[in-house]
Amino acid sequence: MAAVGEPSQMNPNDPVGNSGTRIAAVGEPSQKSDGIRVRALRKVFRQKGSGEAVVAIDRLDFDVERGEVVAIVGKTGCGKSTFFNILIGLEAPTEGRIEIGGRTPYGDFDAFRGRIGIVFQQDRLLPWRSLLDNVTLGLEIMGLDPAAQRTRAEHWLHRLGLDGFLRAFPSELSGGMRQRAALARAFAVNPEILLADEAFGHLDEVTARQIRAQFFEMVRAERKTAILVTHQLEEAIDTGDRLLVFGRPARPLADINLAAWPREELGQLRARIQTVIERNEPDPALAPREESLR
Amino acid sequence: MSPESAPGRQGEAVEAVEVTRAGRWPKETVVSLAAFVVLWHLASMVLPPFVAPSWARIGKSLVDIAARPDFVAVTIARVATALLVSFVLGMALAIAMYRWAVLERYLMPLIKLLMAVPVLCWILFAVLWFKFREVRIAFILVVVCAPIFVIDVLDGMRGVSRDLRDMVRALRPTGRQFFAKLILPATVPAILTSWKVNLSLSIRVVTMAELVGATSGIGYALMQANETFSVADVFAWTVVLVLILMAANVAVTAVERRLLVWRE
Repeated sequence: MAAVGEPSQMNPNDPVGNSGTRIAAVGEPSQKSDGIRVRALRKVFRQKGSGEAVVAIDRLDFDVERGEVVAIVGKTGCGKSTFFNILIGLEAPTEGRIEIGGRTPYGDFDAFRGRIGIVFQQDRLLPWRSLLDNVTLGLEIMGLDPAAQRTRAEHWLHRLGLDGFLRAFPSELSGGMRQRAALARAFAVNPEILLADEAFGHLDEVTARQIRAQFFEMVRAERKTAILVTHQLEEAIDTGDRLLVFGRPARPLADINLAAWPREELGQLRARIQTVIERNEPDPALAPREESLR
Repeated sequence: MSPESAPGRQGEAVEAVEVTRAGRWPKETVVSLAAFVVLWHLASMVLPPFVAPSWARIGKSLVDIAARPDFVAVTIARVATALLVSFVLGMALAIAMYRWAVLERYLMPLIKLLMAVPVLCWILFAVLWFKFREVRIAFILVVVCAPIFVIDVLDGMRGVSRDLRDMVRALRPTGRQFFAKLILPATVPAILTSWKVNLSLSIRVVTMAELVGATSGIGYALMQANETFSVADVFAWTVVLVLILMAANVAVTAVERRLLVWRE
């Protein structure tokens, strides 16, 4: 077990680093070692010109258990991306907190090195690096030795069907292939948690469906905790085990266990969620679960 | 698995990389240069030799220059040394200003002030302030070229997109890793552009500096040619300067092709 922030050691029987879980020795007790806890989260921006306060997130409360696959859906501009940035530690909340394994991604920033894999809206590959070198980027930062970096990167590029393009530059590839490389980069660090922010929305429908399916197949095969942020209701219903519906400003309007929802009633559910989003008011029947706020 | 059989390619196409024909005949360039040669030849037949010397006279001057390459070598050495010093100084200042914003707030007004001073004034200051000729020339070149490196490199660093910054930051690099893996490589195009600008500028500035402050080099030779009313020599030295600049640009372009191969 490697301490947080330390380079992971290579297991000779597990060259790609997927056996077991790399749980941080955080040094402080936590009731839920790997889960995500969001408590009374609030984010207020000041507009640059007028100085007027804009509430982007308003008292967000929910938990995500380890291994859960959660889709978060809401209108464009409802604060999903702000929540995403706080979740990955790039922004601090105004009030409240997010804890992952008892630590906050913003306050304990370095402690999350190698623990969170992120797939952004665009591929965000470094254009001067080959696909292989893009995938090794996170591993270089973690301090893995070059042989281990290459082995892991090749494994994930192979798994995503890109083994013929290790030395290709991003500019030589299609959008779908670049997004696959971005998935490989996210999985290569063997994170505990995978986060995707509108990661497939910019691709054509066929390619998006293929890559989304690959993403969730790998998430479930690797037993990762995953959060998908999207504005597309179809995508959210198709992929998550659980669906959180955000209002504007971001607050939970509905928390739905999709796995327990009868398949033949999904059409009816879709219509109710659309109504919830349009009215920006919670539906009592789809209200956030009390038990999720343990 | 071959690229063709890779599952990831299904339903997708690799974007075709445009292949430029490196050996394409530069017809327009040849035509315009040939027209200039013919017009000059016609002018030399009508005008006196001290206004438009014949190509034969210019050719003789070029042969004379080729017999004494030391002046060319001295000028090239001055430019190369001053550019290297300017680059190192410019990079160091740009990195420091990128790292400490307070430094930028204090230094940037001074750098802009330096850039606003005409080259001729720097030449006069150098003659007044420094005793040694080489120091004068180096001072003039560095004070003109280093600020350009600072501004271009700093702009390049500041111009790295927010998307890429967030992506790399989310991987939790150290400050040094962030700079080495993102900021520096992303700034390479700006650095190369700055080299191109400064190469052209330094050739012109060194010639002016040598006109008044040297006993060797192309500028000094130009002054001598001017004093003896030898337009052919002036023309021949000008040709040499242009050739040096073109060779330098070819060299930078070759480096650029190698370093920025990912852009093609």
